[in-house]
Amino acid sequence: MHSRIETSAKRLLNCLHVDVNQLMPIKYHWAWEHYLNGCANHWMPTEVSMAQDITLWKSNKLSDDERLVIMRNLGFFATAESLVGNNIVLAIFRQITNAECRQYLLRQAFEEAVHTHTFLYIVDSLGLDEREVFNMYHEIPAIARKDAFEMRLTESLLDPNFSTESEEGVRQLVRNLIGFYVIMEGIFFYSGFVMMLSFHRRNQMTGVGEQFQYILRDESVHLNFGIDLINGIKAEHPTIWTPEFQREVIEMIDEAVELEVAYAEDCLPRGVLGLRSDMFRQYVGYIADRRLERIGLKARYHTPNPFPWMSETIDLTKEKNFFETRVNEYQAAASLQWD
Amino acid sequence: MSQSFAARAADLLDQDAAILAALEDACSGLTGTDPKGLFEAVQCELFIGASEADIARSMALAARAQIEREPNYSYVAARLLLQQLYSQLSERPVSLRQADTVYREQWQRYLEVGIAAGRLSPDLQRFDLERLGAALRPERDLQFQLLGLQTLVDRYLIRVDGRPIELPQFLWMRVAMGLALNEEQANEWAIRFYEQLSSLRFVASTPTLFNAGTCYPQLSSCFLTTIGDDLGQIFKAIRDNALLSKWAGGLGNDWSRVRALGAHIHGTNGQSLGIVPFLKVANDTAIAVNQGGKRQGAVCAYLETWHYDIEEFLDLRKNTGDERRRTHDMHTANWIPDLFLQRVEANSHWTLFSPDEVPDLHELYGAAFAHRYVEYERKAEAGEIKLWRRVSALDLWRKMITRLFETGHPWITFKDPCNIRSPQDHVGVVHSSNLCTEITLNTSDDETAVCNLGSINLVAHMRAGQLDREQLAETVRIAIRMLDNVIDINLYPTPEARNANLRHRPIGLGLMGLQDALHLQKLSFASERALEFSDEVMELISYHAILASSELAAERGAYSSYKGSKWDRGLLPIDTIELLERERGQAVEMDRTIRLDWQPVRESIARHGMRNSNLMAIAPTATIANIAGVSQSCEPDYTNLYVKSNLSGDFTYLNSFLVRELQALGLWDEQMLSELKYYDGSIQVIERIPPELRERFRTAFELAPVWLIESASRRQKWIDMSQSLNLYVLEPNGRALSELYLLAWRKGLKTTYYLRARAATQIEKSTLDINRFGIQPRWMKSQSASQQIRVERPETSAGQLCSLDDPDCEACQ
Repeated sequence: MHSRIETSAKRLLNCLHVDVNQLMPIKYHWAWEHYLNGCANHWMPTEVSMAQDITLWKSNKLSDDERLVIMRNLGFFATAESLVGNNIVLAIFRQITNAECRQYLLRQAFEEAVHTHTFLYIVDSLGLDEREVFNMYHEIPAIARKDAFEMRLTESLLDPNFSTESEEGVRQLVRNLIGFYVIMEGIFFYSGFVMMLSFHRRNQMTGVGEQFQYILRDESVHLNFGIDLINGIKAEHPTIWTPEFQREVIEMIDEAVELEVAYAEDCLPRGVLGLRSDMFRQYVGYIADRRLERIGLKARYHTPNPFPWMSETIDLTKEKNFFETRVNEYQAAASLQWD
Repeated sequence: MSQSFAARAADLLDQDAAILAALEDACSGLTGTDPKGLFEAVQCELFIGASEADIARSMALAARAQIEREPNYSYVAARLLLQQLYSQLSERPVSLRQADTVYREQWQRYLEVGIAAGRLSPDLQRFDLERLGAALRPERDLQFQLLGLQTLVDRYLIRVDGRPIELPQFLWMRVAMGLALNEEQANEWAIRFYEQLSSLRFVASTPTLFNAGTCYPQLSSCFLTTIGDDLGQIFKAIRDNALLSKWAGGLGNDWSRVRALGAHIHGTNGQSLGIVPFLKVANDTAIAVNQGGKRQGAVCAYLETWHYDIEEFLDLRKNTGDERRRTHDMHTANWIPDLFLQRVEANSHWTLFSPDEVPDLHELYGAAFAHRYVEYERKAEAGEIKLWRRVSALDLWRKMITRLFETGHPWITFKDPCNIRSPQDHVGVVHSSNLCTEITLNTSDDETAVCNLGSINLVAHMRAGQLDREQLAETVRIAIRMLDNVIDINLYPTPEARNANLRHRPIGLGLMGLQDALHLQKLSFASERALEFSDEVMELISYHAILASSELAAERGAYSSYKGSKWDRGLLPIDTIELLERERGQAVEMDRTIRLDWQPVRESIARHGMRNSNLMAIAPTATIANIAGVSQSCEPDYTNLYVKSNLSGDFTYLNSFLVRELQALGLWDEQMLSELKYYDGSIQVIERIPPELRERFRTAFELAPVWLIESASRRQKWIDMSQSLNLYVLEPNGRALSELYLLAWRKGLKTTYYLRARAATQIEKSTLDINRFGIQPRWMKSQSASQQIRVERPETSAGQLCSLDDPDCEACQ
């Protein structure tokens, strides 16, 4: 006979005694809230017009350097989203023994699918060589190295003998979570965002820019979920967070910063207006510090944000002229409550 | 090209000196700006091989990045752009200090080049060009801030081969000349019109600014058409849309006459697919014809609430479902009869019909409509109507509200007040409003309603915190003349547009800068005094507009369909509220205070008639308000720090009124800016700011919507057409939303426009220390383990930062 669930008995990991098929009663309300927010933010890339981008791409107004930046980032993101999606489904999902967190992971996986769709839509619209774009993560070393870093983390969890019952198992999972949420989605994606939004800032490639803004909106929720999950696991397994493990995490993040800086250098050999690879060292350090603090470590890089214009592009609320672009500040109908 | 190292270094030094000089000129006279700081920022932006254009862009971007700290940088950025423009036209580098010279040199050349290139009308040469040239005021170029000037440069200044040949003062003079072409005393009037425009007291509408004085003077903003119920008429309407759209017009189409899905087609003995497939064609036409490359063709489709296709109509903008039945690029609006809302309030039933079986319903309004509708309902019940369906009025209303919340469409407009209070009820019916929901004119198969617009800038009429009533009166009178002139000069894209405009001569005078005018008086939008101001200003504008039109009738003759109009019957807009009450059968909750003595106006009309059938409408002024650097129409501040996003790019808007007051209190610092950003431009929870200030700088989402509605209701007393009224909602509560719109209806509003909402979450902000505010983002309601993490920060001079989730936190105790 199965007895009914006690909320307090629910656990994020190794929860063998509580039926993970039962969503309610909910214990981790933050997970459910992230799920609802994800749903409320629903969007499809096909809502966004690519007309201006196509005109610009087909013209001779973009320099080779500018095209390189765009292509490299499309190449990175097109497959990165799949890596994240696969990691969720193949590596993380099984280990998170909690219904409401799984509920969110399903939503996040769907959002990664929408993001991948976005790159298909962009590649199709601009008439790019799809095989070139999607194979770039094998062909361009700077991208390959970032992805190899991530794929190692996924693979380590695919071993059929892997389990989170040991402390080391929990640490391995947390490495994966940090690798994907904090590093992939929290660091590796962000400098790419800066590069693509810098075009948007100059009123170029605005369709791509707008889709990146939607993606970035989704990623902010992913990041927050990941951080809440990591901190939640730490709270439930306090012994894993040893000084050695913390040092290891810091080393992982240091390595990630170096990989990202190398990637920026590869994308921007000569710089295009407002973006130089040395500025990315500052930027990546600035972002890394934020991520470190959010998982309870101390800031290390102490560099400022060299892109104050990000304020205009994403920080400040936008009031859009409805006639000239599509307003994206709406919520899904289900969010409307009738008392 | 090889150059010795020393030569290149010298070049760079010269370049640096030029850059610094330009920055100093641009900052000159603007407090709080630092040219040397900008210079350093520019050095950071530059890279190896940067061209002149890159340098110019760098300087502009460096200035822009500072706008969020000091609003005057918006002027700096504008002046850098101005300097580039002067240099471009002069074909050599010039400084801002040479503005007078540039203007003097370029005036004749501008006209010659423009006429030779077929852009400017040769008729401009009939003016006394020397005299007009001497009337130009180059110093008025300095009034522009960045968004305004960038907008002019990107879209308004005339270009030949992609390069601008026009300067801002030339633009104003061109428009002035273009509007004075038919005046006997053309030079005098051109100069008077120029004065109004260049001082930004009155700004003509975008199409007028685009095209006055050119070879293609299509000067009207809005067109309204009604679409007939056969294939020929539908496709004629779509063709008309293309023609009207081509010349930068916005379109309102009434689809209520077109039969619904499942209705019978006699000729082929088939069934109609209803309006949706045709709406799709209209949608795609709008994209294809993109307003001469300047604005995407903009169309709004209207449907009356009893139309059988109403539910599909509501779904047109959803992002799910069959794409063939979606119109992502077209706007939609509900044309709602009073009877429907009465049924909603009574939680009663509603009946849907196909217009081919009830053809007169769309032509009736008020009590006559209600009567006929009930008759048709009886017929339906008796089996005499083929296609009909009964629904719950409340359910349909809820669906309308839900779609509005979800997709921002269809907008809510009210059929009966638009018709009952219309001056032209003797010669037709108002079947819909227009693209921006402020125009309410009759349409028919022979007449496409056209309206020429312009807006009074209230800010330009404020002196020392007070309204300059004499100057406002003068501006209104000249504006009415300018708008009336448009009618005869205008190029009409279709004969139906021409017929309508020449017969009735409607014009639409509006206003902008209301919120800024309130700030200048230190009034909160949410105050009685602000309501009174709205009421007083509108009464004053209305008074002088009607008087001016009547006096123009004395000079030029009354409009041809004057006889039988409400004006002729002695009914001014203020007199028509009780008509609405009678027809509606219930009280209209509109204030009835009259502050001026209208007798002189009534007498003038009785004696001379009216020159124009309609006079006033408050348009959204999205772009012209940007040009003038004032708040849009009668809108509250969207928020105090945000980004305006449009075709020219993203522009930071920082409420300079707020900043000046904070500076005066010594509160404007990095921390304040950080908090302002973190709270998305809201100051309501920033403790350091005194409560009185927080009250006056409430943002649109923080104002109880009743204030917006009441404010609009006061103005609507005086306006013979309508207003583009936006509403703002923060909390996703359907009941509250429904009540809001019912209130708007009860308060006598004719139309509403956008419902602006907010997304559920936001992108993580990147240019402030967000961790300082807490690990969990601001929108999260549920706590997670992340709450346990505290970051170290040195204590600021403001003391301990408030920890919102910690009940023991001392900061607010």
